[in-house]
Amino acid sequence: MSDYPISGYFGRVLVVDLSLGEVRTEPLDPATALDYLGGRGLATRLLYDTIDPACEPLGPDNAFVIASSPLVGTSAPTAGRGHMVFKSPLTGVIGTSNSGGTWGAAFKAAGWDALVVTGAAASPVMIDIAPGRAEIRPADDLWGKTVHETNDLLAAASEPGRPARVLCIGPAGENLVRFAVVANDANRVYGRCGAGAVWGGKKLKAVRVRGREKIAVADKERFQSGLDQALYLIKQAPVTKRLMRDLGTAGLVELINLISMLPHRNFQDCTHRDEDVDRVSGETLAKTLLEKAGSCYLCPIGCQRHTRVAGRDGKEERGEGPEYETMVLMGPLCGIYDMAAITRANYRANELGLDTMSYGGTVACAMEMAGLGLIGPGETGGIDLSFGGAEALEALVGMTARREGIGAALAEGAYRLAAGRGRPDLAMTVKKLELPAYDPRASYTQALGYMTSPSGACHLRGGYAVSLAFFGGAKEIPRFSLLQSPIAIRNMQNLGILQDSLGVCRFTGYAFSADPWARMVSGVTGRDFSVARLEEIENRVAALERQFNVEAGATAADDALPDRFADSPIVVEGRERRVSRDDQERMKRDYYEVRGWDRDGRPTPGLLRALRIEESRR
Amino acid sequence: MSGPKWQAADDLFREFQALGRASLASDIQDSHSGNMAVRRTGADGRDEIVITATGSQKGDLEPSQICFLSATETDYGYYKASSETDIHARILALPGVRASMHAHLKDLVLATLDDAPKPEKPPDFVPVDPLARRILGPAIPVDWFAVPSGSPELTRTIPERLAGHPLTVIFGHGAMAKGRSLREAFYRLSVGNYAGAVVRNLQRIRVDVEAIRRAMAADPAGTLAAPPPDYEIEGDDRSDFREEEEILREFVKAGHRIFESRLSPFHTGSMSVRGVASMLYAPKASMPRDVGGPLLSVPLAAGPGDDAEISLHKAIYAASDFQSVMHCHVAEAEASAYFAYPGETTPADRIIPIDAEGSFLYLVIPVLPPRVTAAALIRALHDYKVAVVRGGGVWAVGAQSLSEVLHHPSSVREVCHYRIGAVERGLDLRRMEPAKAKRW
Repeated sequence: MSDYPISGYFGRVLVVDLSLGEVRTEPLDPATALDYLGGRGLATRLLYDTIDPACEPLGPDNAFVIASSPLVGTSAPTAGRGHMVFKSPLTGVIGTSNSGGTWGAAFKAAGWDALVVTGAAASPVMIDIAPGRAEIRPADDLWGKTVHETNDLLAAASEPGRPARVLCIGPAGENLVRFAVVANDANRVYGRCGAGAVWGGKKLKAVRVRGREKIAVADKERFQSGLDQALYLIKQAPVTKRLMRDLGTAGLVELINLISMLPHRNFQDCTHRDEDVDRVSGETLAKTLLEKAGSCYLCPIGCQRHTRVAGRDGKEERGEGPEYETMVLMGPLCGIYDMAAITRANYRANELGLDTMSYGGTVACAMEMAGLGLIGPGETGGIDLSFGGAEALEALVGMTARREGIGAALAEGAYRLAAGRGRPDLAMTVKKLELPAYDPRASYTQALGYMTSPSGACHLRGGYAVSLAFFGGAKEIPRFSLLQSPIAIRNMQNLGILQDSLGVCRFTGYAFSADPWARMVSGVTGRDFSVARLEEIENRVAALERQFNVEAGATAADDALPDRFADSPIVVEGRERRVSRDDQERMKRDYYEVRGWDRDGRPTPGLLRALRIEESRR
Repeated sequence: MSGPKWQAADDLFREFQALGRASLASDIQDSHSGNMAVRRTGADGRDEIVITATGSQKGDLEPSQICFLSATETDYGYYKASSETDIHARILALPGVRASMHAHLKDLVLATLDDAPKPEKPPDFVPVDPLARRILGPAIPVDWFAVPSGSPELTRTIPERLAGHPLTVIFGHGAMAKGRSLREAFYRLSVGNYAGAVVRNLQRIRVDVEAIRRAMAADPAGTLAAPPPDYEIEGDDRSDFREEEEILREFVKAGHRIFESRLSPFHTGSMSVRGVASMLYAPKASMPRDVGGPLLSVPLAAGPGDDAEISLHKAIYAASDFQSVMHCHVAEAEASAYFAYPGETTPADRIIPIDAEGSFLYLVIPVLPPRVTAAALIRALHDYKVAVVRGGGVWAVGAQSLSEVLHHPSSVREVCHYRIGAVERGLDLRRMEPAKAKRW
């Protein structure tokens, strides 16, 4: 148990300087804990205090921070997630990514609230963490190994009764692929924004944790009342009760298609044949490839898909996925409706450590470029890069991870690929991050979410408007309201900040919003975290992320959709829909205002003062 | 048949039809009961009375069931006109009155029944809710008639009563209301029936209604929340946000639902969705189909002409990130806010659902005192999304949309319905309430 003045925290930050080969523990300032809570909030504050946002993302001046939350280590549902922040080598702005599995809970049980890694090693290393100690170890023998190989090797070395949990990169991270992931528990990933490349730049292969430290709950009755309600609501809400377990996130495929939002061929349209959609649906996945559902730490929802598929050599392969985003971005976005091929490409990406979302978006971009003659047949080593080319999708995973042939260009992401050949308009990105699998022309709210997300076009950081619009029933959000979108998306983003800062799963949002969490976090800490106080924390974190981006050089001009979404309409419920530049500007201007930012999208000094956001302590 | 031929497009005919349907939908009419009348200036410059035909189905009025009578002739006996035509004519002759309406307000009639020997005059009805006390006054006349329909007694007495009151009760029969418009007359009838429903529900949960009346008489300001704004008869067609098609649709849908689900009497309550600098505001939230109400765009900044209702919307937005706010007058909730558990003397500060759906949605629903500060109400809304103000209605908020916030008053009504029914049946609420809610 900790003697820290706030229950739920250990009060310790583990700081590792890879350049100096030093490991030290620093105290967690209680005021920082109360102002930023944990997870995304705390990690963002610690990163801002550690690095210059203008630093080179792949160099030693960048850092990454992983933070836990006061709920992690309790029985709060899904509270086992970790959150990592860094400067993204893909976007040049804040990289912010979240992962489930069990690593986050294991890290907390090792007795730290956050891990800050700075500098860069001269040769491959790993960090080994256990209660009361942490050390840097050589990892030359692990360099070059896949995610799964690394995970198996390090987990096998566990002490009896104290299983080790492994966080690592694959070859993609080692090769500085700009959208490489950091993986934990083999198939869970900190997926977006290229955390794996940051690790690769630091020559950091893995972080292994073991621990059994316990945290105290200050007010058990208050905690329990929130927990009771949360569990009850999760068991009642249709999405959390059944849909996710039965169909996984891929259960969204047909539903998103029904609202004309399922992208096709690099977002050229949202038109699919019903029979094609059925081939990549969650229902088909459940009937054909699914072995069983699985769950992350303390998760009653259970959306994981443990699957098996026949390999190209006929041998059966086992793995996880595909999730909705992977299914669509590696599938219909590339004109592909071959679930087996998508699944195999997903497995390869997991092994090699690639973000399947950015990979799918980049391949789709490459396919459109190939169709326009911007990528010649001679560059692809004989691979047909036409839309619908399932073989290309599979073959290019390895080439991208290893930067072989055309893979070297793909490894830079869609924006650099397209801009490098004079057609940046063909990259469906915001702030150079590839779009998720929801066409923004079918929802202004989602469009604004992509535009204003701190990390680029991310549905989780930008606000997942689609989920509530479709599933919420009572939480319907108008899709085409210029007036309502700025506040609706601000509130969605804020709920996401809260969930990320508490280390809990986004899918709980299908069952409830902030109130049960307020009771649980108040119960754990013994402090009064009302919903209003949580709102203040959400706004503080949003402002700090924006401030980081401003200092990294981002401007209001970066908060824009690709030209395609303004110029080329799609048909939604019989009407042509686009997000005109004027509408983008109006929504953006209003969004800045509700955030308290100036007309250029910068948090005002007054706002920073009001939110107690001090200047960086670095 | 004399008189102008009604065309489908005629505004007044549509108004009769819409309000007729609405009165049926709110269960203040039987299939053929009630009547409506309007005084207007005809094409020849002379005043005329337009009135529903006797025995017509108010839910499905047809052009042939609207009658035209001279307002100046003494013979009102046109064979198709309402049997109450003489009464209407006298009411319509009162200063400033342009419309009158009669309906069978079941809840109010029930609340005013007594078994005292007649022809003793029954006591006036004293409402205990904020709407009726403001709109209908602290005492509503109730009269017993030997022939309680179309009789000379009625024709003489009812207009006399309505000269001093907006609404009067005909013992065991229904009520008559006057108005500057048909909508205002219907509004008053709806509020009257609501007042009856509140008292009836208080009686069902064994609350001492007379004690509340005494307390209100002694300290009206301390026992009721800020009064609703005055009823406006102009501007119902105003729509300031036609270009926001989806939101417009949401407001219209929500308005229908509030009215049809009896979450608030006709044209009472309010709802809003905020933008960055302005909010879209419906000051008459309970809007039946085909009737509607004003949909206004108003600045978020406080203005000198703001009434208490709109001020609270603005205060909630100023102090929170909420996107939508709704205020309804739910009779079951208004009554439940006074409930005290057996053996206790003060009303409970929470309503605990005993039904499955209610327990699923709410651990508890807070009950706040009548003069709760805006800050305390906002705090409760942050923590619970919905709160019942004793003597002040149900306030609810949403983070995303109007549809989201509508859910709360609707669920609260159901939660209270089951609790009231359980008490009425003699069940022990304490044993039915989830333990986790009692702990919180």
